[in-house]
Amino acid sequence: MTAIPHRSSQGRIGRALVGHGQVLVVLGAIIALFIGVSFVNARFLSPANLTTIFSGNAYIAVAAIGMTMVIITGHIDVSVGALIGVLATVAGTLAVAGWPMWLVWLAPLVIGVAVNAAAGWLVAYAHIPSIVLTLGLLSILKGGLIVVTGGEWITDLPPGFFLAQRDVFGLPLPLVVMTVLTLAAAWWMAHFRFGRTIYAVGSNLEAARAIGISVERTTVGVFALHGLFAGISAVLFATQLTTIQSTVPPNLELVIITACVIGGVSILGGVGTVIGAALATIFFATITSAMIFTNVSAYWLRAVIGGLILITVLADVARRRGQA
Amino acid sequence: MKPVFHMAVLAGLMSASSALAQSAWTGGDDLPTNPLPCDGSPAAPAALPYDGATPANAPDRAGQPITVVDVPKLVGIGYFNATSKGIAEAAAELGNMTVTTDGPTEANIDDQITILDNYITQGVDGILFAANDPVAIAPVLRKALEAGINVVGYDANAEPDARQWFVNQAEFNGVAKSLIDSLVAETGPEGKFAIVTSTFTTPNQARWIAEMSAYAAQCYPQLEWLETVEAQEDNILSFNQANTLLTKYGEDMNGIIGMTSVATPAAADAVTQSGNCGKVAVVGLATPNAMKPYLASGCVKSAVLWNPVDLGYAAAQVLRAAADGTLTPGDTSVQAGRLGELQVINGSEILLGSPFVFTQENAGEFDF
Amino acid sequence: MSPTSGRLNLLLSHEAMLAILLAVTLLILSLLSDSFFSTANLLNQVRLTAEIGLITLAMTLVIITGGIDLSVGSIAGLSAIMLGLLWQKAGLPLPLAAVTSLGIAVLAGLGNGVIITRFRVPPLIATLATMAFYRGLAEGFSQSRSVRGYPEGFYILGQGEVLGLPTQVWILIVAAVLVGTALSATAFGRTVFAIGANETAARFSSLPVDRVKLIVYGLSGFMSGLSGLLLVSRVTTTRSDMGMGWELDAITAVVLGGASIFGGRGTVLGSVLALALIQCLKSGLSLAGVKADGTIVLIGLFLIGAVLLGNLMDRIAAR
Repeated sequence: MTAIPHRSSQGRIGRALVGHGQVLVVLGAIIALFIGVSFVNARFLSPANLTTIFSGNAYIAVAAIGMTMVIITGHIDVSVGALIGVLATVAGTLAVAGWPMWLVWLAPLVIGVAVNAAAGWLVAYAHIPSIVLTLGLLSILKGGLIVVTGGEWITDLPPGFFLAQRDVFGLPLPLVVMTVLTLAAAWWMAHFRFGRTIYAVGSNLEAARAIGISVERTTVGVFALHGLFAGISAVLFATQLTTIQSTVPPNLELVIITACVIGGVSILGGVGTVIGAALATIFFATITSAMIFTNVSAYWLRAVIGGLILITVLADVARRRGQA
Repeated sequence: MKPVFHMAVLAGLMSASSALAQSAWTGGDDLPTNPLPCDGSPAAPAALPYDGATPANAPDRAGQPITVVDVPKLVGIGYFNATSKGIAEAAAELGNMTVTTDGPTEANIDDQITILDNYITQGVDGILFAANDPVAIAPVLRKALEAGINVVGYDANAEPDARQWFVNQAEFNGVAKSLIDSLVAETGPEGKFAIVTSTFTTPNQARWIAEMSAYAAQCYPQLEWLETVEAQEDNILSFNQANTLLTKYGEDMNGIIGMTSVATPAAADAVTQSGNCGKVAVVGLATPNAMKPYLASGCVKSAVLWNPVDLGYAAAQVLRAAADGTLTPGDTSVQAGRLGELQVINGSEILLGSPFVFTQENAGEFDF
Repeated sequence: MSPTSGRLNLLLSHEAMLAILLAVTLLILSLLSDSFFSTANLLNQVRLTAEIGLITLAMTLVIITGGIDLSVGSIAGLSAIMLGLLWQKAGLPLPLAAVTSLGIAVLAGLGNGVIITRFRVPPLIATLATMAFYRGLAEGFSQSRSVRGYPEGFYILGQGEVLGLPTQVWILIVAAVLVGTALSATAFGRTVFAIGANETAARFSSLPVDRVKLIVYGLSGFMSGLSGLLLVSRVTTTRSDMGMGWELDAITAVVLGGASIFGGRGTVLGSVLALALIQCLKSGLSLAGVKADGTIVLIGLFLIGAVLLGNLMDRIAAR
């Protein structure tokens, strides 16, 4: 395999945060939707609905943090949805088996890190393109989960298991986890050495090598971190409802990747922030909810969502042209 | 030429609008409906001539050991695990039937066709199927019949001429009546409710919704349908969609119907977690195991299903009978092992029974 | 890649490796199952994989330019729905409805091309958005209802035979030869590679970068539309969810076929061999008694293993 060519022209680490423009577009779109729809039905802004939008989709935003890092380094992972399904099933199985709760919640994190560190190792040292590796991993995890569990639902979960149903400081725990992790990750990526290394590797591989960064170690590290976030996401996903389906959530990887790219992560690496990805997750959740509140014909729902995504993408283009 | 074209367009538009009038509820299909009488008097089953097919040049399989493949809509979900359990039970009881269950990992019609095609090549004696699409699956099933394979459907039908028999778990209008009656029992005949379904393209769900609409219009004209939302087969999405409905309508909605075994427990979770138990009724199709917590808490009063283990068991028995030649076109009933005698309806369908409404009292008797 | 002697290079070329793998797979599978290695089964497998095959051809070109097209499955669904609606609801004669729906598919593909070239939106983002949008159009226009009851003559495309071979075999051969020739023996093909290798350089060499990209995405739309029609004819009905997930199948075949996901490298032959390999595995494993869930696990392992093996051989060749 040859080295990954990078066509992105931003060489300097300081320029790594230029994804902010798209963040503003998405934020603007969310605010516009909130204001617009609240005129149709004021309940759209009620705490209950905000909980559904923010907390009910927090597991997507948490997984998007790790995915953002992976994409920034110039890679992609299409297996994350399957991994989350597997890790949720692991958590549920251990809980039913009577393991101590802290171990039940910790196990998905550890396994997530282990699986993705191995994936990262294969990408970095065995030079398998990440899309090929994760396509393969997607098949393995998806099929493997059914082979192992037979798709039997996990229903007899102990009462202490439901972490995502708890409140912290009067707020739903998933919302708090999402907010804290997103802000912490954004801050860490901007101010800490390893965080900035991620941007450096993504924006210019050769330059990163030249200043002594181990591209391989960074790749493994980023995949491992991504596994950690997938594990946290899986715990939120598993503990939200009374049953666990033991199957791979349909199209979850696509939702996560879409959130990252619409949030302003360039797929060519080197650009983007986790805040954008979290906002994009909220943006999709807001649209889905708004469609119901505004009585858009359910048959046209997906067309409207697709159209809105398209408009957001093109709005960013228009904005950049206006600046140029 | 031109007027002819206009006529055609007009006819097209009219058929489209009449279809809309027929199934007013979003998510229903536009096939004709046949609502049951409101008072529960049984509909007289029309005696139709056999409209199934016959395998071409099938060898004499009477009493012979046969290999059978069971291809459900998808593998890895509780419902089809239960049907395959029933099939395996019947096979063990019969002793002269080897069954493999193999299906796509997603309810995907192309994958299902490919799997069936490969088993035809492999040369099985019998096929049991639950179709992802009644029409799309037909060509590959006809190919099986031409190869002399016995073909029996269950759960989701194919076009009649593409299979021999279909084991019907419960008629669409019967399920629709049970669902609406259970809803009205809680909300009263002037209830306002919304539906959470998988996708509008899923044939069984679309059929039930159309039949529910027709039955409600006939028996509970004051019942108000608010809307139908799609939630795939995704439990968190179903949960979020149900929550959104709860917030949107607030006091103006007092019922949710879940159309899948995924949507119903997720809707019950949404009602429980939002503190709406007792204010918003949840009814729907669901498996007892998934509903036990909500039945126990009293948040859900009842859910509707048939016994999927029995369904699989009956399908395997019917296939064996068809292969043995003990069930032939024109028969009005079939002997199905521990289930006793089952009736033939609608020409070539075997009716498992009426849909079963389970409650806090009897849910513990089932394990699926 | 490896700067060693031509003969070793040929032996170790990705296509040669795939051909060997295919031969070995065929051999093993024919030993595992009697019914696998028969002309009837192999031809039947072509029928079953023709739709993905056509899309794979176009996807090869898209990926060589350094792009990607995630909207292929949605375009297939859209063209299938348009065929059904134009024929049944608007009353167009079926051939005219088919041509029109193919035209719509090309327009959808060109739409991707315009967003990518005119507005400079990265292909992944552009087609991620249109993937949802085109599927949404299919659902909206059809109100999620299916169209059935096509005339018998239409089924020749998906179920019939021409000169003793399934219709799809001919369509696939013609399409593969045309696309393969266009890629390897024309100025258009050279521009496709040049764009993928270095787009900026290609622009400086005044190659018609935007026009070629438009053609490539238009072709992807066309092939997706044609696949949609083939599927309708094969399964005799139209549904708005047709073609879901095809993008991943096609991308898997292209990358296993040796194309670089970063552009600049890839061949039609490689993609076709990879597709054949995947389909043989699916069919052969099923005939050998492996279930669908186990099969996808094995295919996943195979995909990773094949690329790993390829990399290893590259390294040996480089020594």
